[in-house]
Amino acid sequence: MIKAIFYKEWIKTRWYLLLALLVSLGFSAYAMLRISRVCSLKGAEHMWVVMMQRDAIFVELLQYVPLILGLVFAIVQFVPEMHHRSFKLTLHLPMRATSALASMLSFGMSMMVLVCAPALLLMWAYLQSVLAPELYWHILLSAMPWYLAGMAAYLLTAWVALEPTWGRRVLNLVLGVLLLRIYFLAPAPEAYNDFLPLLAIITLCYSILSVLSLTRFRDGRQD
Amino acid sequence: MFKTSKIFFSLLVLVVLVWQVPACYNFFMAKSVDTPFTLYSSIAGEFATLQADEDKKMQYRDASGREYTEEQFDSILPTFYYRQLVTDGRFPDSIHGIAVTPRQVQVSNFNMRISPLDLNKPRLGIQQMLESMSGRVDLELPDDAFRITPEGMKFVKMETNAIDHEKSARFTQMMKQKGFQFPAANISGNPTDRKEYDEGYVMLDAAGKLFHVKQTVGRPYVRAIALPEGMTPKHLFITEFPSRKWLCFLTDTEGHLWVVERESYDVRCTEIPPFIPEEQSMLIIGNMFDWTVKVNRGTSECYYAISAQDYTLIDSMSYQTPSHTLPGLSFTSTKDKFVKPRIVR
Repeated sequence: MIKAIFYKEWIKTRWYLLLALLVSLGFSAYAMLRISRVCSLKGAEHMWVVMMQRDAIFVELLQYVPLILGLVFAIVQFVPEMHHRSFKLTLHLPMRATSALASMLSFGMSMMVLVCAPALLLMWAYLQSVLAPELYWHILLSAMPWYLAGMAAYLLTAWVALEPTWGRRVLNLVLGVLLLRIYFLAPAPEAYNDFLPLLAIITLCYSILSVLSLTRFRDGRQD
Repeated sequence: MFKTSKIFFSLLVLVVLVWQVPACYNFFMAKSVDTPFTLYSSIAGEFATLQADEDKKMQYRDASGREYTEEQFDSILPTFYYRQLVTDGRFPDSIHGIAVTPRQVQVSNFNMRISPLDLNKPRLGIQQMLESMSGRVDLELPDDAFRITPEGMKFVKMETNAIDHEKSARFTQMMKQKGFQFPAANISGNPTDRKEYDEGYVMLDAAGKLFHVKQTVGRPYVRAIALPEGMTPKHLFITEFPSRKWLCFLTDTEGHLWVVERESYDVRCTEIPPFIPEEQSMLIIGNMFDWTVKVNRGTSECYYAISAQDYTLIDSMSYQTPSHTLPGLSFTSTKDKFVKPRIVR
């Protein structure tokens, strides 16, 4: 049954996932291209010096990309189903409603990893050819909260989208926006290093919020 | 599962409230604590203050309450306002019986800021070592960078991203020969070409011993600095002031500020009362006769006047700076560059 749900979600979102993968890879490739241009025009030394002296990380344009990808992905996956009330059919499948929801969210999170991981791998592969490990890890670790924000955006948007009433939806939205702000408070590169493991656990915990929306939906709450 | 998610939701609401309500209150209710600009005047023999009154008119006073005109104020702080005094033709021939020139004053003046923000931040672990005796007037940035590992010093050529084994071995060998135990526990340098001269780095080794390491004509210069009995250094601050009098300032584990003199490598303790560099900021405005040291201790701003000759305490005063902030949860701080949850009082 879980396989069937994964297949249903895949059919629903496959074109968006292809687009998301292209956007994610495209932005990373563009950021690397900019670094490559700086290296060819001013030399790799210039890159190193600017990173060491001015705290530059050269990938700032990627900051909101995972966030937007996660947010749109949850909309693509859940909003049409909620709008057409077809989510009810999923709940009538011969499995527990929470298991059905968990399968949908697991599919989503796996796809988010598949969309984001190639971008990070691309950066890692290119950067280690021109930078010392201290410098490329400096860039990758600084970017890590943005990718966690993408996961959080997906889970929080799913929670908002599954909520059946507008009043509660707005409340969830406000709370979600404030929670997403936590991922964008860095006053300097690598500012999240100590907090990253806990932030990753908290991000995964956002998945259980959707159970609240599911229960309210099942109870027949509506405007 | 429903119960768990309800508890988690309530917890999130609580976290957001404890984070956002005090943040909003503090944002809208914040009042700036306006303390006067204060400097020690060795001419007046006490602190002199400058503050705008309600009509935005500048008030010039000393700690005894005596009022001064703007010109008189320039004269009691001749090393701070030397440019104004030179322009007006009022610069004295001597101060405290010592003949001085504007150039001498300019060279001996310095400002030094020690901020928790500079200590509590992520470290990159790789930096550059300039050539301190290139024979050129202007300093130049090198074409390599170095890291300190448990095995030794490793120089990396930036253009090729490859280790310079020969140079790495040269520095590692010399440092080991001088008794340096790898890795370094702390390191302070100012690797920029926008300065008059280069003193390389001061480093604390794994055993807590202090070293001066720089590059002279491509060769390593390593000098162990003898520390006074019982003193354990913690934070290092290379100075590179135009006067070239000091190599670095450092703080010990008890919060005392020490200076390392450049020529003699003597380590001498100042009589500034202990402070916590990780939490309190310090500003030193120094001249050839005395230093005015401002320590921001949270609820008070303390000023100390220190003799520039023997670092003894001449005078002190403080202003109360009460805080009106609401305690709560915060993810950032004015004292560090990390993002993590913490309770702010």
